[in-house]
Amino acid sequence: MSIEVNGVNKRFGDFVALDDVNVSLPTGQLTALLGPSGGGKSTLLRIIAGLESADTGTVTIEGREATHLPPQKRDVGFVFQHYAVFKHLTVAENVAFGLRIRKRPKAEVAAKVEELLRLVHLSQFAGRKPAQLSGGQRQRMALARALAVEPSVLLLDEPFGALDAKVRKELRDWLRRLHDEVRVTTVFVTHDQEEAMEVADEIVVINEGRVEQVGTPDQLYDAPANDFVMGFLGEVTSLNGILLRPHDVHLSRTPQLAGAAEGTVSRLVRVGFEVRLSVLTDDGDDVTVLLTRSHARELGLEPGAKVWVTAAAGAMAVPAMASVATG
Amino acid sequence: MASTSSAVGNGSPAVKWLLRVVVIGYLFLLVAWPTAYVVRHTFDDGLTGLRTALSDPDVVHALVLTVQVSVAAVVINTLFGVGMSLLLVRHRFVGRRALSALIDLPLSVSPVVVGLALVLVYNGRFGWFGPWLEAHGLQIVFARPGMILATCFVILPLVVREVVPVLEELGDDQEQAARSLGANAWQTFWRITLPGVRWAVVYGVVLSLARALGEFGAIKVVAGNVGGETQVATVLVQQKYQNFEQQTAYSMAFLLVFAAVLCLVVVALLRPKEGHR
Repeated sequence: MSIEVNGVNKRFGDFVALDDVNVSLPTGQLTALLGPSGGGKSTLLRIIAGLESADTGTVTIEGREATHLPPQKRDVGFVFQHYAVFKHLTVAENVAFGLRIRKRPKAEVAAKVEELLRLVHLSQFAGRKPAQLSGGQRQRMALARALAVEPSVLLLDEPFGALDAKVRKELRDWLRRLHDEVRVTTVFVTHDQEEAMEVADEIVVINEGRVEQVGTPDQLYDAPANDFVMGFLGEVTSLNGILLRPHDVHLSRTPQLAGAAEGTVSRLVRVGFEVRLSVLTDDGDDVTVLLTRSHARELGLEPGAKVWVTAAAGAMAVPAMASVATG
Repeated sequence: MASTSSAVGNGSPAVKWLLRVVVIGYLFLLVAWPTAYVVRHTFDDGLTGLRTALSDPDVVHALVLTVQVSVAAVVINTLFGVGMSLLLVRHRFVGRRALSALIDLPLSVSPVVVGLALVLVYNGRFGWFGPWLEAHGLQIVFARPGMILATCFVILPLVVREVVPVLEELGDDQEQAARSLGANAWQTFWRITLPGVRWAVVYGVVLSLARALGEFGAIKVVAGNVGGETQVATVLVQQKYQNFEQQTAYSMAFLLVFAAVLCLVVVALLRPKEGHR
């Protein structure tokens, strides 16, 4: 294991940011810390980096006790949400910073900087100031800067959070490819479940200072530990006391399956290839159902239509309020 | 100009012109005319006035002393100013706000009072530290250390108030990035923080230098006004003027104004090299 976090607690005044967190992150993998804003995931990352100190608990990086080491001795690279570029230095000087601090020979620094700028596709901007780069370019530069010192662990705090949707998506794919190329243990924080599912090998879901679940994207999606994880990873709707995905609701115009709830279509919205329905059941549930456009047309659905809804065969569902029962 | 008019609102052109005339007239009567008057009188007889003034050993001594005291005070104030700004912005501690308020004190206290206070504390006969220091061979009051001390007090807020807002705006992201890249505290300060606030520091230095060169009240009380020994330029201007040596007074006043303008020009020349921001 590359990073071991044991029994970490952190408070800011009365606010509990982390509550007895234990995580171990494997070497060479791309791990996402996923959770809602204010859930403690950034705090955990900053504690790993040494930018914040834990009240109690220990952090071990590559087998080395790091709890009380200052950030510059932890051998980690850190990438900030707002890039934290050195404004007064050129792109090349930014990337060279860590190497110059380590007093590496000039020729070695120059060669390394050139190699990294090629890796992040910024070679032609080497002599520019960061102010002349776009947000995406700045973040790639910040990544090259962090990689320059060949850290054993790369930590990224909401790396794409300040970018617009299109650039975000590009950089996300690019980060995945870069990781496959460089293979440094990477941990990134995100509140975007799509980003985490798409990029990460493993996801740690953090909410209200606690780890809710750890697993691969598939494990989390198919077997969420509780209703929070299920709700956070995708849309859910509740039907007969269970939570399930709107596309896992079976809908018919006649009572076909045992236990199906009777209701009426109260709203119908067409978005591209899908149709979203709100079905008000006679038991009082407001169920969201997702159908393909052709399926909806075949059933002849209109607002006010009488329908029967139930969980489809093979639907993944968890009992509603599971977290209240366990927590 | 478009932004000016929108900022003023939908005032008529007549109001706009009236405002301009009032502002320009105000500045002319308050700043431009009196300054120009000094310059004109300095050169009433060509360069003879300046030459006469500079041949007076008291004048030369006063000018050199002024520069020495000002430079020493500005150097000390810059070191402390940057240090205190870092303390105020990057650290949270009990009494931080009180310290911040204390730094502004010299702006509101009359310099003469400052001078008197320093004399009370440091004089050699009955001050708090004075007798002890004097017994160890260090005279503060009526000597250069006291003059530097008084000047430092007066210019105390000028560097801090320039640097603090820039440090706040800069944030500590860059510093944290430098730390994570292996820089220790000193390297981070020297390579990241200081370059980030360098313009604020330059402005602070220029402002405090201009203020130090022109300081009168505090330094007059502390220095004791011994001609050729502890008399600075501003004090000598007053004395020469009262002794009906107007020409010399104007010449020295001109030199003080010239130094101040030079400071502003230097900053204006340095500024565009900052890079394409």
